[in-house]
Amino acid sequence: MANELAAFSKELAAVVAQAAGSVVAVHARPRFSSSGAFWRPGILVTAEHTVRREEEITVTLPDGTSAAATLAGSDPGTDIAVLKLDAPGAPVVAAADDLAPGNLALALGRSEDSGINATLGLVSAVSGPWRTWRGGRLDRYIRLDLTFYPGSSGGLVLNAAGQALGIATSALSRIAGLAIPASTINRVVDEVLARGRVARGYLGVGLQPVELPDHQKGLIVLSLEPEGPAALAGALIGDVLVALGGTAVSDTDDIQTVLEKHGVGRAIEVQVVRGGASRSLSITIGERPRRS
Amino acid sequence: MRGFGEVAERLRRSTVQIHSRAARGSGSGVIWSNDGLVVTNAHVARGAGLEVELWDGRRLPARTIARDPRRDLASLRVPAPSLDAAAPGNSSTLRPGELVIAVGSPLGFAGAVSTGVIHSIGPIRGMGSLAWIRAQVRLAPGNSGGPLANAEGRVIGINTAIVNGLGIAVPSNDAADFVRRGPLPSLGVTLRPVSAGVLILDVDPGGTAALASLQAGDLLLLSLDELYSALDSGQPALRLRFMRGVTSSVRLPVRETVVRLGERALEAA
Repeated sequence: MANELAAFSKELAAVVAQAAGSVVAVHARPRFSSSGAFWRPGILVTAEHTVRREEEITVTLPDGTSAAATLAGSDPGTDIAVLKLDAPGAPVVAAADDLAPGNLALALGRSEDSGINATLGLVSAVSGPWRTWRGGRLDRYIRLDLTFYPGSSGGLVLNAAGQALGIATSALSRIAGLAIPASTINRVVDEVLARGRVARGYLGVGLQPVELPDHQKGLIVLSLEPEGPAALAGALIGDVLVALGGTAVSDTDDIQTVLEKHGVGRAIEVQVVRGGASRSLSITIGERPRRS
Repeated sequence: MRGFGEVAERLRRSTVQIHSRAARGSGSGVIWSNDGLVVTNAHVARGAGLEVELWDGRRLPARTIARDPRRDLASLRVPAPSLDAAAPGNSSTLRPGELVIAVGSPLGFAGAVSTGVIHSIGPIRGMGSLAWIRAQVRLAPGNSGGPLANAEGRVIGINTAIVNGLGIAVPSNDAADFVRRGPLPSLGVTLRPVSAGVLILDVDPGGTAALASLQAGDLLLLSLDELYSALDSGQPALRLRFMRGVTSSVRLPVRETVVRLGERALEAA
């Protein structure tokens, strides 16, 4: 009764079996575990929203044994947490960038009780860089048409060839689960290993988009963080930001994009309209305070 | 390419609907052998006056042969000489990611199909050491007792429950074992886990617990997982520690009883 469907079924199971050695269960929150993946030797990644404690984190390894892991750091903006542990574990090769809607996607997770688990679905949408509601930037938006079960987040998302598209998260979109792209994970892992966190630029202003009488767009300063970077540079409530670092800005996404290009601690030229007159300020970019 | 459609069509002929006069609604079942043996869930085959509806619409009276409430399996016999038995699969070689197909009558729609992949295989916390198949297939009430088959159309599980959206199925090898050897040893009680152990809520008259003089209200001093592991260990008898008359913080003497589980038939009829 061999048929193509049975052959396809075997291939899927083989892809799962081959990548299973890279997928762990992460115990870092009450009640439910989540999943995680070896990203580099001794380095695991998981979904940040599933890491609810900074100590006493354990993982269930592919061989069923348990090991202690330490939190190297995390980036809530992209929902990535980086864990270190002393255990061998081969990362899965990252996929090339030729992803398209309709491609098959396999999500792999692990639980302590039943070992590796697999879910099959489709890549339902792909687009360019995307800012999450948590403020981070994903290099690509990869939406999955795939059922997420408790404990799926942080698991490895593969294409049909068994290459890694990224890790699964249910926390970045209300519509569907997403794959946090491999290139974003690489960037965040590099930064977290170097500095323990991903520093995000901060001006210390509350802004609202407005249109100026000459139809130019800008952002009016509604609040100022006392002693914040903008306040120290002499910005006032009521100033209208029209350009940042030489780039015209008309909404808060523009600000984030410019701040990402300039590093924390560097001075940036800010063009404001105050009382109808244009003037220039030099703000030293601060680091966004971490939520406690 | 031979697709799910063809596999489903063959599987439909081996899938039945089970109606119970006592209970509203219906479940599904799998034709296990050509001579009229049907396997379903114990929670589907409840009460007297069971009727089996074949894929061609024929309705036949069914007689219950055996029930195993813990594994949630039941076997029925219908008076029909030449039925299309389902092709048996081997559930012990299943791997996560394999394609699966479920046929049944969810919410009364006979012969409905859903497909997906094996999610994982293993025990469920609080339900002992028995392994269950978890499958990424959309099931609904009425799928219970129906077949979960692989890409070749071979039955690898009996759909039993839905937990967190995942289909839960009894592995087909366990169903085959049940058909050959009868139910797993059980105490014949209704239990509720409590912090100190497991409380007996009800005792089946004539069950093994009743024969060992256990009563409703007795508190067994072990966890549900420990009890199930002991039952599944294959020992012919079980020594249980328990307390009787637990009402307040008064310390009671710990009693002991031996429950004879009896031999499982090697090859039951």
